[in-house]
Amino acid sequence: MNRQKSSGRFRFAAASVLLAALIFLVPALRAGNPSLYLLAVLIPCLIFLCETVIARMFSLDRMIMALVLWLCAAGIAALAQADPDTALAQSLRCGAALIALLIGGIMMRTLTPSLLTSSCAAFLGLLMLAGKLFSPVLPFPLTEAAMVFLLIAFASLSARQSTVFALLLGLVALSLLLITGSFADAVLWAVIILLLAFAADGRLMLLLPALAVVSLLFFITFRLRLFDLSGSSSSVEALVSAGAIGADALPESFSSLDSGSLFLSLAGHYGLIFAGLTALLFLPLTLRGTSVASAARTRFHAVLAMGASLMLALRALAAILSVFGFLPLSGLRLPFLTDSLPDLCAQLFLAGMLCGISGQNDADLAEDAHLAMLAK
Amino acid sequence: MFSVSPEIYAVLSTASRWLFAFFALMLLLFAFSWHHSDRKERRDRFKNLPGAGTVGELVVLSGSSELPVDTWFPVPREGVLGSLRSCDLVVPCSGVRSQHLDFSWQDGTGLLIRPRIGCEVLVDGVPVSRRGAYADTPLLHGSLLQVGDAILRLQLFSALSHTNRPFSPQAPVPDPGSGSWMPPAQPTVQPPVPDPYAASQPWTSLPVQGLVPDQAPPVAEQYPPQPLPDQPQQPEPPQAGQRRSRADRWKEDWSE
Repeated sequence: MNRQKSSGRFRFAAASVLLAALIFLVPALRAGNPSLYLLAVLIPCLIFLCETVIARMFSLDRMIMALVLWLCAAGIAALAQADPDTALAQSLRCGAALIALLIGGIMMRTLTPSLLTSSCAAFLGLLMLAGKLFSPVLPFPLTEAAMVFLLIAFASLSARQSTVFALLLGLVALSLLLITGSFADAVLWAVIILLLAFAADGRLMLLLPALAVVSLLFFITFRLRLFDLSGSSSSVEALVSAGAIGADALPESFSSLDSGSLFLSLAGHYGLIFAGLTALLFLPLTLRGTSVASAARTRFHAVLAMGASLMLALRALAAILSVFGFLPLSGLRLPFLTDSLPDLCAQLFLAGMLCGISGQNDADLAEDAHLAMLAK
Repeated sequence: MFSVSPEIYAVLSTASRWLFAFFALMLLLFAFSWHHSDRKERRDRFKNLPGAGTVGELVVLSGSSELPVDTWFPVPREGVLGSLRSCDLVVPCSGVRSQHLDFSWQDGTGLLIRPRIGCEVLVDGVPVSRRGAYADTPLLHGSLLQVGDAILRLQLFSALSHTNRPFSPQAPVPDPGSGSWMPPAQPTVQPPVPDPYAASQPWTSLPVQGLVPDQAPPVAEQYPPQPLPDQPQQPEPPQAGQRRSRADRWKEDWSE
């Protein structure tokens, strides 16, 4: 094993395990809560187990896995100060979502860009989006899960040289997102499909009409006022009131904010410095995802990895910008820092796909090295 | 469970928050360092494996002023050939459209060529159709691909199980009316043994049977020893400043 590589990995693993233990141990000392003591033992052990045994067993990318696990642990820590039992429930949600990560990683080994893959994924994705039309009061959000399925269908169609159909699918999904009022998701989806179509095909003859249709759809939606552009100046005030290092009890200004956004809770309890540095971890995650995409051997894997990276990175960027009031979008949460189980599953499934594609790239490279060794 | 007094906890809590911020900074730095070292390691591996991720190379037999003869392209497993710079294989010749054809590698078959709409492609002098039959005319080792004015020859790595069929370059069909260039029948390479799979890479030293156990008849039976054709005149050793062929450089790379 390369000494330089192992050094970076071990340092990160050691720091994340230590931090995960301390971040639950310190609040546990205040009231002697058994749930927090349990989390202080359970979370570091789980991180260590996943980064060593699970990643090796399923040939998953260790860096993506380590980053994702730490972000999930930060989400649990955001709840631990205020309500240890909710934090315990969040840890169970993360544990369940980790299964989605493993499924995503394993699926990438067997999934091929066939017509069956395209049609099944497109059907499921559109069905989930359309389900919101027929049943507006769904107890759980399915938009992110639908976007994951649609991304698989888009990548499969692009890999099959059916760029026109891929763009058509993207536009239909965009229309459904706009009709159901998911404006923020619609903006993200539009940017992602246009960028992916540009990367996969690059023909202006297809891209310009697609761009025109996307602009027209947004214009119509804006004229019909199907969405609410609400500012978020109150969240900026709340973040400022949290200070650099935060406090055990959240300030009053936090009570009016989105309770499901764990980033805000994290900033309130541990301060802006810690929350900002945690949010910056999306940068290496995105860089890693783009590296995986550029190293992929097949177009399907390349488009899928780039799409997954874009989806996580753009969502994180949009969430941070909207928290600080730079974007007039509401309802966006940082990936992995959410208390919604379907969203968490969808995001970890995306991360799992990246891990699986990275593992496949490594396997391909090892095969090449084996052939070269045989040649000698 | 164990707990501490509020006074001690207040001090501990404040100190730990700064410690957590420091740890978060360290995590960020370690993540970048990890990513950087991984990229460096990957670059080094690619440096030692110049053919990684490719199935062979396309050598230009006839090109243009922008595409001189003997230029070679590493061929990835799948991609697009065209004159656009964003294509995987850029062939800037007249008659080649911005995105002329898609190609993909299929184990056991060869490099499948699928022309884009309205694009003409010849494989060993045979036109390739866009629909259905394109799988019947895969590019094999030594096959000639004609796109526009460019003529390219494919050299595959012999370690790949690129075909289950014996290689037999098709005789070009004379078609004086078409006006297109028809390649003369060429010997694939000049191998020391009559192995048609042999490419110019050192992987050619591997017997195909050893790598592809399912291929039924041994190579020796499939291709009984025949008198070698007249050996072509050996090229003079390259003089200073003269461009060496790609095959020579491959041999040197791999021998190192």
